[in-house]
Amino acid sequence: MAAEETSIVQTDHAASDHADDHHDKTVIFGRTINMPVYTVVFGALGVLTILEVLLAELLGAPLHVPVLVGIAIVKAGLVMWFYMHLKDDSRLFAWAILVPAGIAMLSLFFLMSVPHTGY
Amino acid sequence: MSDITLRTEPMTAEAIRKEEYRANNLKFATWLFLASEVVLFTMMIAGYILFRINEPEIVSRAHEGLSIILISANTIVLLASSWAMVMGLRDVKMDNLKGGFRWFMLTAGLGVLFLFGQYYEYMELAHLSVTLGVDTDALAGWGMRFYAPTFFHGAHVFVGVIWALLVARRTRRGDYNRYRTAGIEMFGLYWHFVDVAWIFLFTLIYLV
Repeated sequence: MAAEETSIVQTDHAASDHADDHHDKTVIFGRTINMPVYTVVFGALGVLTILEVLLAELLGAPLHVPVLVGIAIVKAGLVMWFYMHLKDDSRLFAWAILVPAGIAMLSLFFLMSVPHTGY
Repeated sequence: MSDITLRTEPMTAEAIRKEEYRANNLKFATWLFLASEVVLFTMMIAGYILFRINEPEIVSRAHEGLSIILISANTIVLLASSWAMVMGLRDVKMDNLKGGFRWFMLTAGLGVLFLFGQYYEYMELAHLSVTLGVDTDALAGWGMRFYAPTFFHGAHVFVGVIWALLVARRTRRGDYNRYRTAGIEMFGLYWHFVDVAWIFLFTLIYLV
């Protein structure tokens, strides 16, 4: 196979074309919404952002930290899954970002466990 | 604006297959680049979190100076720019280059709006004597931990705006079609990553 034809990433053609995202209707939990899936995701992101701000005011410590971080992870997941097309593209793309993110998180938790020394 | 015409020749099945290989390799390279960005952002966020844990009173005072309404609106603006970007890609994949061009210009415009919001926020904080200096900062070092990640992110938005304008220009020139979108998708990955980074900055710096 010629060099310019090789690819280290293999994906199904129809999937990589993101054909499912081109419809003007989106089905969620059996209900049909007359909007593209990207617009529905944007609506969800907006609602979650407003919910985050409200919960930040209403919830007290220490509950608010895991709840707000959890919502942020859901929002980031929506962006990566739909807008960055991880739902269709090669799983290799996901691993490329999840491995360094996991290592960075472990490093962060380690640093958080170190006693305060006046930095 | 006059109708956009494709500058590229009609593509054969073989050419489409090659373009798909090329696009996948370019996207993988972009993901690897973003992986390095994850490490950089995490370092700055870690610096903030450690300060937050060890100096909770200072962070509470700092939060009183932040306009959560302005930042929430700015967050929605950035989320909207991500939506505009992906809608532009959707239009190009349906061979609607005119629509794609408009969405990419909207993406750039919303990016600029976000930067104006950030500039306004920095001006407000400057009036409260929140600076980069540990000794001169009214909040004893909070400014350094705050400005470093948010300015680093703002610089990414600035680069993204320039990139969005370039993608819009190439779309208007008819360089893309439903099969040739690698350039748009690389920009999209970058722009959405900037959005994801802000999602975490917003929660960890402004809300927690």
